[in-house]
Amino acid sequence: MRRFARHSLTRRLVEAVLTLFGVAVLVFAMLRAIPGDQITATLGTESAALSPDQLASLRDYYGLDKPLPVQFFSWLGDIFTGNLGYSQRAGESVLAMTESALPITIELAILATIVGLVIGVPLAMLSASRPNGARDGVSQVIGLLALSIPNFLIAATLLTLISKYAHYNPNAGEFQHLFANPGVNLQQMMFPALVLGFGLAAPIMRTARTSLLEVSTADFMRTARGKGVAPMRLRVRHLLHNALNPIITMTGIQFGYLLGGAIVVEQIFSVPGIGQQVLVGMQQKDYAVVQSTVLVIATLFVLVNLLTDFLYRVVDPRVRAS
Amino acid sequence: MTTAVTPAETTVAVGAPPATTAAWRRLLRSPAGLIGTVLVALILIGAICAIAGLTPYDPVAQHPRDALQGPSGRYWLGTDQFGRDIFSRTLAGIGNSLRVSVVAVALSGVVGTLAGVCAGYFGNKVRGPVLAVTNVLFAFPPLLLALTLATTLTRNWATIALAIGIVYVPIFVRVTRGPVLSLRETDFIRAARVVGLPTRRILARHILPNISAIVTVQVTLSLSWAVLTEASLSFLGLGSPPPAPSLGSMVFDAKVFASTAWWTLAAPGVAIVIFVVGLNLLGDGLRDALDPRNGRNS
Amino acid sequence: MKLRTALSSPVSRCLAVVAAAGLLASACSSGSNSNSSSGAGGGTLVVGYTADPNTLDPWRATQFQAAHMLEQVYGTLTQLDTNMNVQPGLAASWQYSDDNKTLTLHLRQGVKFQDGQAFSSADVKSSLDRLRDPATAAVAASYIASVQSVDAPDANTAVLHLSTPDAGLLAGLATVNLAMLSKDNTEQQVSQKPNGTGPFSYTTRAPNQSVSLKANPDYWGGKPKVAALQFRIIPDESSVVSAMQSGNVNFAVLNDPTVAKTAQGSGLTLNKTPDLAYHALQLNSRKAPLNNLNVRLAMQCAISRQQVIDTAALGEGTPIGPITSPAFKSDPNSQPCATQDVAKAKTLLSQAGFPNGLTINTIVSTGLYATSVNEAQNLQSQLKAVGITLKLQTLDSAAYVDAWKAGNFTAALALNGGSPDPDGMYGRYFTSTGNLNKVAGYSSPQLDQLFAQGKSTTDPAQRKQIYTQISNNLVDNAAWIWLFSSYDYTAMTKSVSGFTPMPNGSLINLWKTSLG
Repeated sequence: MRRFARHSLTRRLVEAVLTLFGVAVLVFAMLRAIPGDQITATLGTESAALSPDQLASLRDYYGLDKPLPVQFFSWLGDIFTGNLGYSQRAGESVLAMTESALPITIELAILATIVGLVIGVPLAMLSASRPNGARDGVSQVIGLLALSIPNFLIAATLLTLISKYAHYNPNAGEFQHLFANPGVNLQQMMFPALVLGFGLAAPIMRTARTSLLEVSTADFMRTARGKGVAPMRLRVRHLLHNALNPIITMTGIQFGYLLGGAIVVEQIFSVPGIGQQVLVGMQQKDYAVVQSTVLVIATLFVLVNLLTDFLYRVVDPRVRAS
Repeated sequence: MTTAVTPAETTVAVGAPPATTAAWRRLLRSPAGLIGTVLVALILIGAICAIAGLTPYDPVAQHPRDALQGPSGRYWLGTDQFGRDIFSRTLAGIGNSLRVSVVAVALSGVVGTLAGVCAGYFGNKVRGPVLAVTNVLFAFPPLLLALTLATTLTRNWATIALAIGIVYVPIFVRVTRGPVLSLRETDFIRAARVVGLPTRRILARHILPNISAIVTVQVTLSLSWAVLTEASLSFLGLGSPPPAPSLGSMVFDAKVFASTAWWTLAAPGVAIVIFVVGLNLLGDGLRDALDPRNGRNS
Repeated sequence: MKLRTALSSPVSRCLAVVAAAGLLASACSSGSNSNSSSGAGGGTLVVGYTADPNTLDPWRATQFQAAHMLEQVYGTLTQLDTNMNVQPGLAASWQYSDDNKTLTLHLRQGVKFQDGQAFSSADVKSSLDRLRDPATAAVAASYIASVQSVDAPDANTAVLHLSTPDAGLLAGLATVNLAMLSKDNTEQQVSQKPNGTGPFSYTTRAPNQSVSLKANPDYWGGKPKVAALQFRIIPDESSVVSAMQSGNVNFAVLNDPTVAKTAQGSGLTLNKTPDLAYHALQLNSRKAPLNNLNVRLAMQCAISRQQVIDTAALGEGTPIGPITSPAFKSDPNSQPCATQDVAKAKTLLSQAGFPNGLTINTIVSTGLYATSVNEAQNLQSQLKAVGITLKLQTLDSAAYVDAWKAGNFTAALALNGGSPDPDGMYGRYFTSTGNLNKVAGYSSPQLDQLFAQGKSTTDPAQRKQIYTQISNNLVDNAAWIWLFSSYDYTAMTKSVSGFTPMPNGSLINLWKTSLG
């Protein structure tokens, strides 16, 4: 049994590496398929006026004159030595840029997940406590709205309202890192985290509700109820604990997506996270930035999935045993 | 949309062919199913009107003298900066968003389901490559993938649909593979194999009908995500090209008028929400209606 | 997103603009972080920018944001005043030889680079020599194409030997794309740490967040009125206005007229300056059906420029003819069909052999500037009335630039930079040897001759007459359809004073701006 577990772990790891290689190929190929390159992105229409000699010199400067396979493997080779490339546009290494942007997005994702859980799980418990009752109805409507209103609509409206009427706009100030200035940082993270968390609450709530309903009709719950376990304790200790697995899975998946999915919200609230880094890189055809950042996001996504899988095994003895 | 790419938590039981009429009846008896059906029907009627040309005005006709007027008897939902009728444009936008979403989901549904079925039914030789591709697509941030694809291709509604469709293929693979894997080991499929039925026939006659409920529910939910993704792409400036309106591009254009001419934003915004709420409710209703356990209960 | 300036031009000539949506701006110090400093001025002026500067190399900075940030750091040999007249810069005075083929520059004395090195004629020679080297890929190299060699007879004198008289040269030297670099700095060095002679020196930058500059107390023009400048990146132009309303950003240049209108109603000071950049429908006269003069004229007659302005730009703009340079401005009414004439358009179409109308493919950019798609939709609607179907191909900025620079279009909707000198503005488009002639899609022997005459004539009155002929020739042949020029909006919070906007969008006066 142990050997099997190890075998499956090895297989997952191999799978993960293959997946990341696939992502690397895909992002590399897609960037080259997009019209334009760093020369046209940097110079705009003025690039039309370049003489052939000037163009050749720029192609050399941006490393565009090398054959594609050489570009691909030298990039990939550098990655293994910890060199994510250099952004001529930003005048900084992609590693340094990522070290600054990634913690911001991770913090945002964690805060959004907390918001999502804080809204989603209690709503689900409320809703599952009496299926089809009034409370269930209200909770479900909230969940439905969270699922249906595009987050850019909420974000843009929220930003307009608070800055116009409350004259409060923490995101307009210079961005502060969590450890440098926690007070300001948390204010700057508040609205983006609320918007993302609200959207996240919906799938969490729905998964939790289904799972809670299933568990509450299970035999051991009936037994516990029969033994006279207090209702609150029953809900938290028995019900929630046993319904936890699907919730963890869903939260894990969503967390992974948040890392690359907060682009629009980061954009609206000017949060200098990883999403903006990729988006700007894409607009500027900054190949090194886009390639390496997408690979970093994909790696995190794969890691979070592995971790979720692992947590799942820890929490659910049945999975562990099999 | 961050929540876009998660497989539906479908509890549809495998192996019970749906009884269509009964399912319909159950769908319409549940409040969610009923409201969802009504909302989706409304949206469909709107889209059909637009496609048939039954809008009060030509959605792209400009009346510069009537620019940016509020709702009135003449222009029910007001006009935009070109004096175009927002009601007509919203209907046309619904039609366009519906077209993009339907084609996107049809594409991902067909490709994803076929891939999922093959990955579940056939051995490692098929499963390996299918899952490898699926994993790669899953690990690529979805909005970014759609964005890149939309940039790569010539922009028109069909390529937007293609971009969104590719992003959703892996979900269909994921939701169909598991059930097919367990179906494959059921007695009646084993029996069919022993009897020597051709594989194609087993797949078409026995496997596909049995996962149709899962696919139906997934299709409904994916449609709602496709509407949202199209809107997000438009918001980033990469949606359907003008002048044909799409709900997303209308919201994008109206953003700057939010405080001065609210109606330009309200109509497409509300239409998106109704559209997505309707599809979600319908999806929920279908899931319950197609779940045999619920059938027993009612 | 708004990425880069529209067409291009190197900035000075043009100026242009646009950042698309962008805003640009400069800002003033904000309440939030004003570290008052000693000296004449205090506080940090925070400028809202919608895009991160995409290069720190002044010789390749065509993006609006990059160019206007670098203008603060670098100095140029000449400068332009608010009427686009040439004024002394690092060259305090100059004189031409009698044949106008030798230009002697007397340099300002006592000027220092921000690293402490003295500025001298050796830096001028080194900069001009490097700028003319194709390997440098300087975007404004063509402005100094007439320069054959540069001498530095003494530390304060530089002599430029020209192949032909060049009336536009002095105005051209004012662009930051021809900024003077220290002879000791390589380009790679300045692309990481700019070192110029301008009013502000570079301190730090956080990619996608901000660029910070501090006052250069040794600036030859005087000490800047603020202690520091910060260009803060806020990707959405509406969000910039929100940030100004909350007092975090004090200064911004807005380009989207709808956003500017909202800013106006919210307690901010808004200046609008007519822009040299022009919106035009470029026609490719080398492709059917636009190779037919009557088709082009029919399009010109079918279009009401005012209606384009009213719908696409909410009334914010003025109809124009080809030349927008203040001293050479074309009369917008001296063109065939100066006002819309649908009947005439239909007649012309019949004469051209298209009584039943025709279809024209048009490329339109998204993301290069705010009003592009709106203009396209209105033009489409207007041309439809005479039976011309404008088939719009909306392209993202990169795809648009690719198609545009290859001349791969029948018609193209564009926002092109203007220039203080009309030769700099159109010589490269409409002369048969111009480096953008492929993009312009039109040339003729008459135009070649007129442009050559204009370039070698030095008498202002004579030049004005020559360029009026050029302008008329262009509209009579409907080489393109010139639509309108819009405004640059400078939005400031109440605490900001002393900023003078420039028609070329330049923020060169920021150092005279004070806070509070």
